[in-house]
Amino acid sequence: MRSPIRVALASCGVAFSLWGLLLLLQSLSTDALIRLPLWLGGAVLVDDFILTPLVVGVGWLLTRRLTGRTAAIARTTLLYVGITTLIAIPLLLRQGQGANPTVLSRDYLRDWLILEAAIVLAGVIVWRLRRADGSARWQPSRQRRS
Amino acid sequence: MIGRWLGIAVLACFLTGLFSHFQQAAPGVLYIPSRPASLYRVTQGLHVLSGIVAVPLLLAKLWTVYPKLFARLPGPKDIRLILERLSILVLVSALALELFIGFLNTLQWYPWPFPFRQTHYALAWIIVGALLVHLAVKLPLIAANWRHTPAPATGDGLTRRGLFRTVAGAGALVGIASVGQSVPALGPVAVLAPRKPNVGPQGLPVNRTARDAGVTAAGADWRFTIQGAEQLTYTLDELRALPQSRSELPIACVEGWSQGARWEGVRIRDLLRLAGAPVSSRVRVVSLEKDGAYATSELPPQFASNPLTLLALRLNGSDLDLDHGFPARIIAPNRPGVLQTKWVHRLEVLS
Repeated sequence: MRSPIRVALASCGVAFSLWGLLLLLQSLSTDALIRLPLWLGGAVLVDDFILTPLVVGVGWLLTRRLTGRTAAIARTTLLYVGITTLIAIPLLLRQGQGANPTVLSRDYLRDWLILEAAIVLAGVIVWRLRRADGSARWQPSRQRRS
Repeated sequence: MIGRWLGIAVLACFLTGLFSHFQQAAPGVLYIPSRPASLYRVTQGLHVLSGIVAVPLLLAKLWTVYPKLFARLPGPKDIRLILERLSILVLVSALALELFIGFLNTLQWYPWPFPFRQTHYALAWIIVGALLVHLAVKLPLIAANWRHTPAPATGDGLTRRGLFRTVAGAGALVGIASVGQSVPALGPVAVLAPRKPNVGPQGLPVNRTARDAGVTAAGADWRFTIQGAEQLTYTLDELRALPQSRSELPIACVEGWSQGARWEGVRIRDLLRLAGAPVSSRVRVVSLEKDGAYATSELPPQFASNPLTLLALRLNGSDLDLDHGFPARIIAPNRPGVLQTKWVHRLEVLS
């Protein structure tokens, strides 16, 4: 259990983390130091108690009547819609509020709708191809975006 | 499998971030080569790309270990387990926050009550540290996994391979939909990127406008001064009458966007020769803008002597736009955009 590699890795890790902590203590005001842990805790809460249950819940709700390959394709498509939407949210919120006209100059609402439509369309196409190709050996979630 | 790729993304993000940090640290802390000219463009593009791709990887990793969140809490005697859980808490919270503030910084949006740059840098060390501890704890498991691949799960659910394919697809998807801000060929599909190539004055994006910097257009009384062995002063027309050189160099911003451009102006090394200074001099660049952080920058000797480094007067075939630094700006290879000082009116030879 106690190999030299593990000890070295762990020691380096602890040293790096302490160095980071020291940098924080040096460069942040007391006020910022008090609020940073709240944001760190918030990040965990959002991941573990909002995002993951949401993914599991929505995935179950929307695919519970589906089986086999159809369910797998639907789940993958939903995941791609979800992850791209998550990243698009800040862009959508800040649309038109860039620091200057060259920041956030796209029409993000239009682009987001096109992206999601393309993902769903790709999912439907893959599903149709798989159904037509029913004799082929089934490999789950071999989906490619258009 | 997902953990491995997340680890690679985090490491790539950390190393490219360190490079950017040292580029902007006090001059002379670390020797930065002036070639290859597009090095910073590549590393910083990679920094932002690996950060964005890490988002689906992190979420997938958290999802695969989700049941462990509800595992029995370790007893008070189980110090090792408590420490391990704590290191994972540090890793997850710091990485999630780091990716969040990093992405919002590319939008220049700062809704949090702590300074971005310092926090982003310190958290990076904490994340890599916690990751190394996590690797140390899991090393026997990882080693066993490398030696023999476990049989795929059966049934209706996702197999390991299927899950990995799905997550890799998600990473590729968000990567392709955002990398166009650094790779202009993919600009049209960069629907998840805050920047779009070829948008802005003279077809080039801007980070800090003249208005942000409190700079107004220089008039006929504008003079450029270089302080070397002797002090020389030029009007704009006199600068235009000096031998002009051309450089094809990118503006590569710390926020990850970048774009190549054609610059024309006077080589810094030619100006140094005229002022009687050695071409390998350290040079302080002074801007018309007053704000401390951007008002001056320093060109280390290897940058000042590089023939690509210009006091640029023209961009893409016409005089510099005011937002690109009219009448004159610095453009040098392999440098963050924030050090390509605009509205330059003075060069001081330091050594």
